[in-house]
Amino acid sequence: MHLTVISGATRSQTKSNTAKIIAAFCNGFQTGSNTVEVWYLSDRKQWDKARNAFWNNRDILFALPLYVENVPGIMLEFLESLSPKIEPGTRLSFLVQGGFPEASQSRCCEKFLKTLPDQLGCVYGGTFIRGGMFGIGLLGKKIGAKMVAPFVDVGHLFGQYGYFDAEIISRFASPEYLSEKQLRSFQGFGKYTQKWSVNWVAKWLGCKGKLDERPYR
Amino acid sequence: MSLLLINTLEENDPAAQGAIRVLTAKTPSITVFHTVKMKISPCIGCNACWLKTPGVCSVKDDYEQILIAYLQHDATVIITDTSLGFIRYRAKNIVDRMLPLATMYTCIVDGQMRHVPRYEKKYRLGIVYSGTADVSYMEQWLERVALNFDGISMGVYPVERCEEVSLCI
Repeated sequence: MHLTVISGATRSQTKSNTAKIIAAFCNGFQTGSNTVEVWYLSDRKQWDKARNAFWNNRDILFALPLYVENVPGIMLEFLESLSPKIEPGTRLSFLVQGGFPEASQSRCCEKFLKTLPDQLGCVYGGTFIRGGMFGIGLLGKKIGAKMVAPFVDVGHLFGQYGYFDAEIISRFASPEYLSEKQLRSFQGFGKYTQKWSVNWVAKWLGCKGKLDERPYR
Repeated sequence: MSLLLINTLEENDPAAQGAIRVLTAKTPSITVFHTVKMKISPCIGCNACWLKTPGVCSVKDDYEQILIAYLQHDATVIITDTSLGFIRYRAKNIVDRMLPLATMYTCIVDGQMRHVPRYEKKYRLGIVYSGTADVSYMEQWLERVALNFDGISMGVYPVERCEEVSLCI
């Protein structure tokens, strides 16, 4: 199976969490005779080639960050530029990663994604949702690598099925909501440790002010 | 009541002109931005507005005046055309760039994680669209967007019925 992966992330490939997830996914996917090509929409010079790849291949995976309840604006622009396929048989799958931990945060986006295969002359290969990914690029290489490690298995299984089978989703996708225990924990000490760690990251990045500053008021 | 109108269609588009005319007549104070002739880039996802320069976008273009205008008006309506049953990318880019209005901190609201809003402001957001759309989906999407900015959706209206959004302002 030859898979075309198109990253809808806005960040450049080197700084993109989605790119790190794609790299892990491809690692797992490329077993046996499976091959993969990856295109990054953050680099507009790749758009023509990405469009050609969409047009010429039959297994397409869009990988994207959840962006204000839907796909990022640049990915939407790219999607709008695609002509629907006339020949049947192309499968369109989606991998959504988000900062919030719950899968429920991405359901609104998923609802839109589900409409795309039909509109683009393809069939639907499922949507895989994984939350809690914000820290991949911020928490150091070791923790980042640990966070993307499950995507190696996700890629491997995707290579076997050719789509996001229920097994992949049940084993690796994020839970729909936080449990009662997690909610209690966050509302107790969790929110303070989160605030502390976010402040630490900001300081490390060179932030000099408070993170809740109101510059326009 | 003041209204911020963000027109993502061409300024001379009859649909946009009609909507602006109707909403101007119905609202005492209105500010209109025509974004096609403005320099507005897509969000680049750098997170600077959350972690480096809190509340300030690192992309230096014409968007900052819109960001400030959200705070100065009681309600915001975006005029857009549609594609794939949804708002077009130009309007989505406008919404994506709202991120500086939220902080990096999170809280739990109704059992779900949310960003803590940066300003004490109840944003009221509406969409007026031209073209074919999956209205029920767009309604759901706008409600979620509003929720994430601690705001309220005023709904999604075809340009022919845009006067209805003025009833929510």
